[in-house]
Amino acid sequence: MSTVRLGNVTMAELGKLRTLPATTLTVIGAILSGIVITVVLTAAAADQGARASAIGITLQAVPFAQAWFVLLGVLPATHEYAGRQFRTSLTSVPDRGLLVTGKTVAALLVVAASAAVGIGTSLAAATITRHLTDAPPAAHDGGPWPLAGAAACLTLIGLLSHAVALLVRHLVPALAGTLSLVLIVSPVLGGLTEHARWLPDRAVARLYADTDAVLTPGTGALVALGWIVLIGSVAIARFSRRDA
Amino acid sequence: MNAWNTFAAELRKTATLPAAWSGVAVALLGSAAITLLNAISIRAALAAGRPETRAFTSPFEAAFAAMPLGTIGAVVIGVTIFSSEYTANSTDAGGGRQITTALAASPRRVGLLAAKAATIVVFVAVIAAVTLPVSAGIARAVIGEAGTETVTLGEAVTRCLGGTLYWTLTGLIAFAITVLARSGIIPLIVLIVNSSLVSFSLLLTKLTPLAHWLPDMAGRRLFDGLSTVEGGLDAVPGALVMGGWTLGLLIVATVVFRRRDA
Repeated sequence: MSTVRLGNVTMAELGKLRTLPATTLTVIGAILSGIVITVVLTAAAADQGARASAIGITLQAVPFAQAWFVLLGVLPATHEYAGRQFRTSLTSVPDRGLLVTGKTVAALLVVAASAAVGIGTSLAAATITRHLTDAPPAAHDGGPWPLAGAAACLTLIGLLSHAVALLVRHLVPALAGTLSLVLIVSPVLGGLTEHARWLPDRAVARLYADTDAVLTPGTGALVALGWIVLIGSVAIARFSRRDA
Repeated sequence: MNAWNTFAAELRKTATLPAAWSGVAVALLGSAAITLLNAISIRAALAAGRPETRAFTSPFEAAFAAMPLGTIGAVVIGVTIFSSEYTANSTDAGGGRQITTALAASPRRVGLLAAKAATIVVFVAVIAAVTLPVSAGIARAVIGEAGTETVTLGEAVTRCLGGTLYWTLTGLIAFAITVLARSGIIPLIVLIVNSSLVSFSLLLTKLTPLAHWLPDMAGRRLFDGLSTVEGGLDAVPGALVMGGWTLGLLIVATVVFRRRDA
């Protein structure tokens, strides 16, 4: 698996994603909804006279952004199975290991870039809205590092969804399964048992909200990576062996 | 085909759809699992003599806390019953979509949609009839007499019926959006996100009280006991508003479906 060929495959996968209307719309949706949500949260905070900083508001908006990144992570693997495209992909790149690596790198690049841009635009929107609404001066906000953590968190959520999508191949079960895990099951379990901290989405949230007694940002990210590697290896093993 | 045959055909189609059964599994097994965990943790708190660390020790409340999973099950059924019709076959088998066959067999489009909507209602009602007693039974078996049951049988039945109505209406809204969009992505995202703690509707209520009239916010008092947000409509007017949204969306979906190409 030479690097040149991996580069070509990754470029080809990126080209596929760029020309897929659903990906473009998802990225635009993620960025726009991030802006709308930070504006709403900033305005609501200003209404109540709460002392919220632009960074704090942006971090509050991160849970709302998760759904977009789940969708963005699911699309690269599942869109190929909607028609005949997957066979064409295998014809052009018969080495399945190479294909899945290129696909994962492309998905990672798209998700990471969208997360960075999304966090950046949300921060800008929060800052501008705070100036426009004459919000009260902010409390201390812990500096810019949690923002990088938030972008990394959304990237890892996207990567987790990509692993699930590689495993189940179809859009609806991958999307419904990952969304239910992240948005419903994990908060419900979080209210019931402290062991819920080991779920991937709760562990990775430590990257921007270091509020857990056991997991630090670093170990939280490692736990989430462990889940991704676990699901991803099963997915890749199946991907390499099964019929197209 | 007459109306009954169309309905029987749709019921059978849905019953052979793996995705519909995964919706059933999410609602039934998911609720049972969450209830089991909840009940075990309540029993542990009671055994340790610290019942005040739990919001409630009632077995019924422990089972009712799993209600959001049933919503997901209803959404999955409402979406896949229609999105499955648009999934293209393998190109080796002609690459056709099931919707063309369905319309050839029952050309009256309104009747077809009505049969699908009735199928969703039947599926959700059956899920509720199985899930709620099973979950309540699990909670009662695990917690036993140690917990204090604060909910009378009459209240429990009313709340179960309210929750079932919410599930059904959400399933029908998911169905209507899927008919309009011909794709399951939008209804899945919108409805699962709005069933969660990071609901867009909930966020909008911070901006304007009008957001309390959105379907999911209006109907949430049907889950009496789970409501955490002050304000908004009461259970009965809320249910009427949510029902109105459902009916409106179904009518729009029917008009669009009648007029466009399959």
